[in-house]
Amino acid sequence: MNKNKFNLWNISSVIILLLMLIFIIYPLFLILGKGIFNSETGAFTFSHFIHFFERKFYYITILNSFKVTIVSTILAVIIGLPLAYMLRKIKIFGSRFIQIIVIVSYISPPFIGAYAWIQLLGRSGVITKFINDTFQLNFDGIYGFAGIVLVLTLQSFPLVFIYIMGALKNLDNSLVEAAESLGYSNFQRMTKIIIPLIMPTILASSLLVFMRVIADFGTPMLIGEGYRTMPVLIYQQFLSEVGGDAGFAAAIATIFVIITVTLFLLQRILSRQYSYSMSALKPMQAETLSGTKNILSHIAVYFITFIGILPQLVVIFTSFLETSGGQVYTGRFSLENYKNILFDRDLNAIINTYKMGFYAIIIIIIIGIFISYLTVRKRNLMNSVIDTLSMFPFVIPGSVLGIALVFAFSDEPIFITGTVLIMVIAFVIRRMPYTIRSSTAIISQISPSIEEAAISLGASETKTFYRIIVPMMLPGVLAGAIMSWVTILGELSASIILYSTETQTLAVSIYTEVIRGNFGNASAYSAVLTVTSILSLLIFFKLTGKKEVDL
Amino acid sequence: MSVSVNIDKVVKKFGEDKVIDKLSLDIQKGELFTLLGPSGCGKTTLLRMIIGFHSIDDGQIKIDDKVINHIPVNKRKMGMVFQNYAIFPHMTVEENIAFGLKVNKIGKEEMTERIDNILKTVRIEEHKTKKPENLSGGQQQRIALARALVIHPKVLLMDEPLSNLDAKLRIEMRNAIKNIQQEVGITTVYVTHDQEEALAISDRIAVMNKGIIQQIGKPEEIYSRPANVFVSQFIGTSNIIKGIIKKKEDGLYVHLNDMYAVKMNNLKQDEIVDKQEVLVSVRPQEFIITNEESGIKGKIDSTMFLGLNTHYFVNLDSGERVEVIQDSEEEEILPEGKDINLNIKSKKINIYHADTKETLIKAGGHDEQK
Ligand SMILES: Nc1ncnc2c1ncn2[C@@H]1O[C@H](COP(=O)(O)OP(=O)(O)O)[C@@H](O)[C@H]1O
Ligand SMILES: [Mg+2]
Repeated sequence: MNKNKFNLWNISSVIILLLMLIFIIYPLFLILGKGIFNSETGAFTFSHFIHFFERKFYYITILNSFKVTIVSTILAVIIGLPLAYMLRKIKIFGSRFIQIIVIVSYISPPFIGAYAWIQLLGRSGVITKFINDTFQLNFDGIYGFAGIVLVLTLQSFPLVFIYIMGALKNLDNSLVEAAESLGYSNFQRMTKIIIPLIMPTILASSLLVFMRVIADFGTPMLIGEGYRTMPVLIYQQFLSEVGGDAGFAAAIATIFVIITVTLFLLQRILSRQYSYSMSALKPMQAETLSGTKNILSHIAVYFITFIGILPQLVVIFTSFLETSGGQVYTGRFSLENYKNILFDRDLNAIINTYKMGFYAIIIIIIIGIFISYLTVRKRNLMNSVIDTLSMFPFVIPGSVLGIALVFAFSDEPIFITGTVLIMVIAFVIRRMPYTIRSSTAIISQISPSIEEAAISLGASETKTFYRIIVPMMLPGVLAGAIMSWVTILGELSASIILYSTETQTLAVSIYTEVIRGNFGNASAYSAVLTVTSILSLLIFFKLTGKKEVDL
Repeated sequence: MSVSVNIDKVVKKFGEDKVIDKLSLDIQKGELFTLLGPSGCGKTTLLRMIIGFHSIDDGQIKIDDKVINHIPVNKRKMGMVFQNYAIFPHMTVEENIAFGLKVNKIGKEEMTERIDNILKTVRIEEHKTKKPENLSGGQQQRIALARALVIHPKVLLMDEPLSNLDAKLRIEMRNAIKNIQQEVGITTVYVTHDQEEALAISDRIAVMNKGIIQQIGKPEEIYSRPANVFVSQFIGTSNIIKGIIKKKEDGLYVHLNDMYAVKMNNLKQDEIVDKQEVLVSVRPQEFIITNEESGIKGKIDSTMFLGLNTHYFVNLDSGERVEVIQDSEEEEILPEGKDINLNIKSKKINIYHADTKETLIKAGGHDEQK
């Protein structure tokens, strides 16, 4: 209809594409380039890659990454699946509340989990001490492989849980009843009907978990000690090579991206193959159990939920403990930690987090609305490219994005390293996908005839967009934006590379305080972060009347 | 006030597919004109060409002799009512209706007046301040109609507006649409695949198939004198049986078998040769079950009693199968398996060329026979 080349849509496509090329594609190609070209002679070389695969010290990190990721993913399914099934199938007292708690434990950043578990099961952790004193043992705390798996499993099962809760809600119970009438036992119904039907969801959620876990930086950094994974190696190489030859760090980043891209493609192929749409005419009804079974199910559900939320409780609790010199708890309560972080030093970390997060979320919402509208409604070559590129952040680990941005923007023509801008850009790139996903879902549900109606009534396309489409999309967009927002608050892996003293965030502060062994301040910062996330989520639920978030 | 729409040899291609091929139509001022045809025949495509959502690949569309091919949709001033109503869910009923007035920069006073008037016309005054999600399908339909009409469009376009309603509401709304259309006096193009709806609502109907107009006419013309076999079968029920025309001294006879022939006075004599093969279209109520020996022989295969009348499905000796309707009040109900003889009401039936499938009845043929 509109043949005009310079309409709103084409102009916004061009702008978005340009931004993506500058801030995503160019930095990534720069990494690749640094990895395969000698920085002095400019000659093509595989030497960095050979260097990596020659020494066990380096290539072991790939194996380590895969080991923790595979084990954590499997454990997350083993915990998340039964928990979801129990909540759908059995009447559990307070199940609404349990679901909110699980969402809260999901939105909290993994490194807070790592930090909290160090306080419980670390070398001088409460539980460690208790066990050692009681049984006269010499247990040295949970570090390395076991610690990482513990933290990442507990961090990840909520995602599996939330996905499977959704799938079970859409499962038509008459299918299960039909099997029952054909003489299938309870166990057979579970293995022959329910599991196959929700298999696509199990696979989809476990691959998501896989991607998140393999890219996680904070957990192995804090609790891994000598057990190094790829993100840790990238970070360490980057730090040690500042000023030197960046080629090796770039090569490792390239290898890492190849791995994550492969996984991502695998996920897309699988999810296309195994998807059938279900919509329940007669959803599963939770039944009241009696006697021991009832008690056992309650204990199991409460226990898992409690373990999941335990890190948040621990940091909030310890933030009120008095320490001597920030390191050792005296056993008394005090507000000293809060006094330290709020009054004895500037409030930059807190203010920066909110300020930069706010800028980022505004940009995310605006660009997210445009991207989803363009890719759903204005399909053309350019917008298909945008669609594909908008998936990239799913694939690029935060640490890789961090060093890519440093490589790209530390010099003319764009010199923004160390500024607020580069932090905001990193946040936008990393956390945009949540918002795009929910916006795309909602725009697909709006019938095109709504727009046509507005146009037939005399409105221009632009006016139709602002007056009709945007207001209709907004509630759905915000559902995704809330996830973008709370995950911005906890962003660490890119921030740790990009921050400067002026742009330090809460997440970075927590990390550095933990590394310095300043547990009092770390707890207080963590408490501020956790409470902000929880409040954001509750305000969101309240405002939208929703009970779920889009992950 | 109201305008005429002149569609002149328009063409629409989707890739290689010619969905509309040199289609021409004249819609008169103030009439309710229906595009009727099976699903996929191109009705929606044509309607969207009129409003401008589809470009016109060839030919012209004129409003009161002014070509509108290149006027963008939002400047065409046509109102459209969509199949799914397309009500703006985030606005109240009043805001929905005001939308078109606001974007057209109508003054506040006139706006209020127009809204109040149209709310009265479509009878939803009491829902003015409600959100549409709380309203029924019929009420949403009325909002959609009000929203389209309030901008005083030149033409009103409706694409299957009743297909999302249940049977009872559909009849109620179809009467409402007809009344409102007459009250406003706006030229209206109405699209439907439901022949009964089309017959009930339209001033004139264009029957379409595969992007080509088969016949244009008043509902009763289309029903009683379908221009070809397609129309005869698409509108109402028609039994098609084979026959042969024989020319005799006193006129033309249609032979349905060796023993039974009817004299036809309304045929296009010039187009007919002796022993011409034809298709005879007989509606179920145009059969008479008779005791006379001459007639079409058959056996009742099944009987369906529907209260007011009784339907028989009859296997003819020729191997053809026909449906026959009899008034239940006047005739006794015949058992299945009974051998019967059928005569036909020759004034009502239609005769088609066996090859071209076009009618052999003279124009206005139903008046001729005395
Ligand atoms: N945008 C389009 N692109 C390609 N083919 C289309 C498009 N719109 C309609 N068609 C095709 O044109 C034909 C007529 O469609 P349509 O006008 O919707 O029929 P109707 O409204 O009579 O059911 C159909 O075969 C349909 O598949
Ligand atoms: Mg249609």
